[in-house]
Amino acid sequence: MSDGIISETVITIADRPIREVHAEIQAAADAGQAIVLAEPRSRHNLGVALPAGARLRFEGSVGYYCGGLNNGATIEIERNAGWGLGEAMAAGDISVAGYAGMSCGASMLGGTIHVKGDAGPRCGVAMKGGDIIVEGKLGYLAGFMAHSGRIIALGGADEACADSLWGGEVWVAGPVKSLGVDSKLVDPDPEEVASIEALLAGRGLNDTARNWRKVVSAQRLWHFESRDASSWLMI
Amino acid sequence: MCGIAGRILSAPGPVGADLVKLMDAQEHRGADSTGFAVYGPPRETGYIVRAMGPDRGTLSGDLDAFHAILKAHGADFLEDPTWDSADTRHVSVRMVISDPEDLARWSVDADTMCDRLEIQSVGRSLEIIKDVGSSEMVADKHGVRDMIGTHGLGHARLATESSVAPTASHPFWARPFADVAIVHNGQITDYFTWRDKLERAAYRFMTENDSELIAVWVSDQMKKGLTQAQALKKSIGEIDGVFTFLIANTQSMGFAKDRFAMKPLVTVEAGGELAAATEEQAVRTIYPGEVDVVNYDGPSLTNTWFITEQRAAA
Repeated sequence: MSDGIISETVITIADRPIREVHAEIQAAADAGQAIVLAEPRSRHNLGVALPAGARLRFEGSVGYYCGGLNNGATIEIERNAGWGLGEAMAAGDISVAGYAGMSCGASMLGGTIHVKGDAGPRCGVAMKGGDIIVEGKLGYLAGFMAHSGRIIALGGADEACADSLWGGEVWVAGPVKSLGVDSKLVDPDPEEVASIEALLAGRGLNDTARNWRKVVSAQRLWHFESRDASSWLMI
Repeated sequence: MCGIAGRILSAPGPVGADLVKLMDAQEHRGADSTGFAVYGPPRETGYIVRAMGPDRGTLSGDLDAFHAILKAHGADFLEDPTWDSADTRHVSVRMVISDPEDLARWSVDADTMCDRLEIQSVGRSLEIIKDVGSSEMVADKHGVRDMIGTHGLGHARLATESSVAPTASHPFWARPFADVAIVHNGQITDYFTWRDKLERAAYRFMTENDSELIAVWVSDQMKKGLTQAQALKKSIGEIDGVFTFLIANTQSMGFAKDRFAMKPLVTVEAGGELAAATEEQAVRTIYPGEVDVVNYDGPSLTNTWFITEQRAAA
């Protein structure tokens, strides 16, 4: 790790029982060691429920629910992540070098997820806080039924962006294929744009020429009105 | 939940062993039952028939009756039938038959005794092996790891819509289309509507399983002139529900995924070969190193892969 102070421990995952791997990760995290996970082989439920201060780096792709229930750990994934990355995380930082599968950041409460490739469908579904930064494109139904928090995408968004958004914000630089039910585009304030750009600059993503679209809830579906019935029928 | 898998080799090889690996890694998705469809080197003439009987004790008489129906359609056993030697009451039988004069007509008559011996698959190349229990149990019982072929399908079942029984397991044969098999993860919500339409078109179903319906639906579309790729695309707009299914014949394998995108599929294509599975960790049992994995996570997707070397070792 960059500060060179704490020692680094290597744990090999391969086909070992996940419980055994977990016990080793927890022990190493308690001892304050930075942890390198070798041969993750897209296994599920890796690095879940980690405490603040834990530092993990996966030398490959991970499966479902990696970094779920995170309480403040910093997790780096060198290739791709499967479904439910960082699900229900409360704090911490997760970064993925490649693609993040379905429902990245589902129900997350806080912290940051940084996806350097594309994100799959339902990115940030039901999220209640925190930030998801996607350098590539958002899959369809991004921010589906999110309550709060921000999803920020630099490479556009697929169909039904911000579908059924209750609250929160979806920021997209690049084309949005279509907006979902009950969401609307609004003109962002310069201060808001500056705060988004500052967040991105902190991650080395400097570009002042971005054409931002900010998507928020249209709030028509917050309360049922019979005149809106057709909007409630999704199909 | 269910887990599905597909495998294509660049030449005939241990496809059974690969499918067992893919399904072992997905046992947690459903261990009610496990099944495999293996495409061996295809025969020039004659068919391999896989059948299942509920009562091992009456097998001898059941085979005689089956044989009589076969002969009435101008065909015969080309080899003595073989069956598993497990101590279960139900029994799985493998037969090799010469070509009936009309395969569809023969299968109608053969199905009149489906309560005694139910046909599971018919094909020049296809053999469907399925049973209750985990991948390991089914593979051990039926020698799946030793099966050689070019391609195949696997399925781990968590029953949601119909009974748990050896014959209700996947894969399903598209009765009466030789060599067509399907595995499916999902639920078809307009099952009864489609089943009714297909039954009016004289198709027969042995189970109440929605997956059996998809196999016949796709084959019927192809009979009407669509290519498999076109039929798969059409299925997304015509069949209602959440689904990802893999369908195979002697020449190709394809998948379709519904517009809600709830059922995963990943593939690895390397060196002219393909591994497909519900979960990425399953394909990584075949390719443990870091490989390029395609995640078909989006809605309304299809793809078709072609089998190139099917006759190389025939």
